[in-house]
Amino acid sequence: MIRKKIKIVNKLGMHARPATLIVKTATKFRSEFKIIKSDMEINGKSIMGVMTLAAEFGSELELVADGVDEKFLIKEITELFAAKFGED
Amino acid sequence: MKKIQGNSVSSGVAIGKAKIIRKRDLYIERRKIHKDEVKVELSRFKKDVKFVSNELDKLIQDFSYSQENRDILESHKMILQDPEFDKKVSKLITKDLNSLEHAVSSYFSEAVEVFNSMNDMYLSHRVNDLEDVSYRLLSHILGVKKDVLEDIEENSILIMENITPSFVTKVFKKNIHGLCTERGSKNSHSSIIARSMNLPMLVNTMGLMGNIKDGGDIIVDGNNGYLIIDPTKKILEKYKTIYSKEQNVRTKLLKLIDVEPVTIDGKIIKLMSNIEIPQEIDQVVKFHSAGIGLFRTEFLFIDFEDLPSEEEQYEIYKSIAEQSNPNSVVIRTIDVGGDKLSRILNIASEDNPNLGCRGIRISLKNIPIFKQQIRAILRANMQGNIKIMFPMISGVNEIIECKKIIKTCSEELSKAGIPYNSEIELGAMIEIPSAAVISDSIAEVCDFLSIGTNDLIQYTLAVDRNNQAISDYYKPTHPAVLKLIKLTVDNAHQLGKKVAVCGEMASENKYIKLLLALGVDELSVSPGRLLAIKKEIINCDISKIKPKLDKILACKTSEEVDKLIK
Repeated sequence: MIRKKIKIVNKLGMHARPATLIVKTATKFRSEFKIIKSDMEINGKSIMGVMTLAAEFGSELELVADGVDEKFLIKEITELFAAKFGED
Repeated sequence: MKKIQGNSVSSGVAIGKAKIIRKRDLYIERRKIHKDEVKVELSRFKKDVKFVSNELDKLIQDFSYSQENRDILESHKMILQDPEFDKKVSKLITKDLNSLEHAVSSYFSEAVEVFNSMNDMYLSHRVNDLEDVSYRLLSHILGVKKDVLEDIEENSILIMENITPSFVTKVFKKNIHGLCTERGSKNSHSSIIARSMNLPMLVNTMGLMGNIKDGGDIIVDGNNGYLIIDPTKKILEKYKTIYSKEQNVRTKLLKLIDVEPVTIDGKIIKLMSNIEIPQEIDQVVKFHSAGIGLFRTEFLFIDFEDLPSEEEQYEIYKSIAEQSNPNSVVIRTIDVGGDKLSRILNIASEDNPNLGCRGIRISLKNIPIFKQQIRAILRANMQGNIKIMFPMISGVNEIIECKKIIKTCSEELSKAGIPYNSEIELGAMIEIPSAAVISDSIAEVCDFLSIGTNDLIQYTLAVDRNNQAISDYYKPTHPAVLKLIKLTVDNAHQLGKKVAVCGEMASENKYIKLLLALGVDELSVSPGRLLAIKKEIINCDISKIKPKLDKILACKTSEEVDKLIK
């Protein structure tokens, strides 16, 4: 299992487009994928879950992946965050 | 007979038969199933989700839809394929023994509740998406046909939970008499369109859906904000009289379409329209308005998740400029409170947003966004009929800043070889008292001025017009307000510049004579009010009121003024 803390740096926070990208990317992999924000834990492959995170600019999330391809999943998701989901 | 209160969106009376449209609200029987049926329900679930996903796929690949629409449909498809959706609905069927439709509708109602409870503007907008997906799937499960407008008769009054803007436009083409919705707000796009079409409409009508019978007699009283269900004969007669009077007025007003707005004593008044959304242009053209005196661009910025790109703005401005040609279009740069854009612009919350980062201040503090808008306007101005207006100007500096940015944008466009036209008139909104007081200096650096009475009154009298508790302090004819208007007009005229009024005062019959006597040259009103205001103008003899003007301006209270202008 891999856990990784990450900060949201795109201005829109975690909204539809970023949420769609996260789910699309995560779904490619076989590992289980969760996102935790303070006391809330959601399935990172669920669009409804990721949208309800409503995470704002600057807030911190924890990514948790568990499975054979967990390393690659975390890598690609981290890249999405770093690239600000292609915004700006 | 029953009377329910709603919020009136547009005035006027409509009498007709109730036509209930439960677009989002299919009838779902809360049916329990037997254990033996679980397998059947689960396989129906898989099959129906697959069918609707395929249907969505076809739409997503239909390139006649805009990219934005297709993105939305894509997100709808993801909602259907969400593993949590599958898990939860399957559990509702297997464990709780709910029928498929019961399970699906429970899942979506719960999700809608969660989204609504999060108090996030973005998520509450997404509720529409959830309802859309839910409707699409449930109507497939239940085998419901979709085109609800087919069997609507012409004397119907539509009763709906809520209504989308495109639906209002469609309804209007069908000659519907009125509209009433349980939810919705006065300033939604649907309401704006209904208002510019003069369609009697109530929103936020509490308990509407539970109180009404399909096909029953109903009356929408948009003048007082009531819906009357099963009226008594006496009430019905009363409203029929009001209705035919209103129709008479309307027919007479329609005859004014081709009449020039000239006062009895021969002053030509330029009568233009305020529009908020591009769809309103139809009415502007239909009523032969002398152009658009105020195109609010806020809708572009508030409604979308992302900021509109330069290209998107360009397309919209260009289309409006083309449709209005040869008349002019005054585009007002973004004018919202920072609170509405905090998500996008990362603006800290303010103790006092009305005195905070709003209007031109937002633009000047977010130059890249401002430049995008300016560039889009300059590019759309190929026919030369666009003017730019800046909101919330408090002094000369802001205008000078804006001019610098326009210059930079022109240079950038030249360099990039993109066609544009920087021959463009610039105007300032006069809505902050300081700007009115130094309107001589402001007029020097502008081509025209436009008085935004709503804010001018609000800031002069320090009264929030949406605060019911102090609404009696909101007085358009307060002597201080009138003096500021007079000062602005006089200062502008000294320099040979024109003054428009685009606030609500210009849309109210009772203030027209006063505004014209104060010397205002142009009025800009909502398209639905064009003809009524034109009638006021052609019946006005400024030379008769002018002598009273000193007396009016010398009044000590707004009550005294109101008496004099009656």
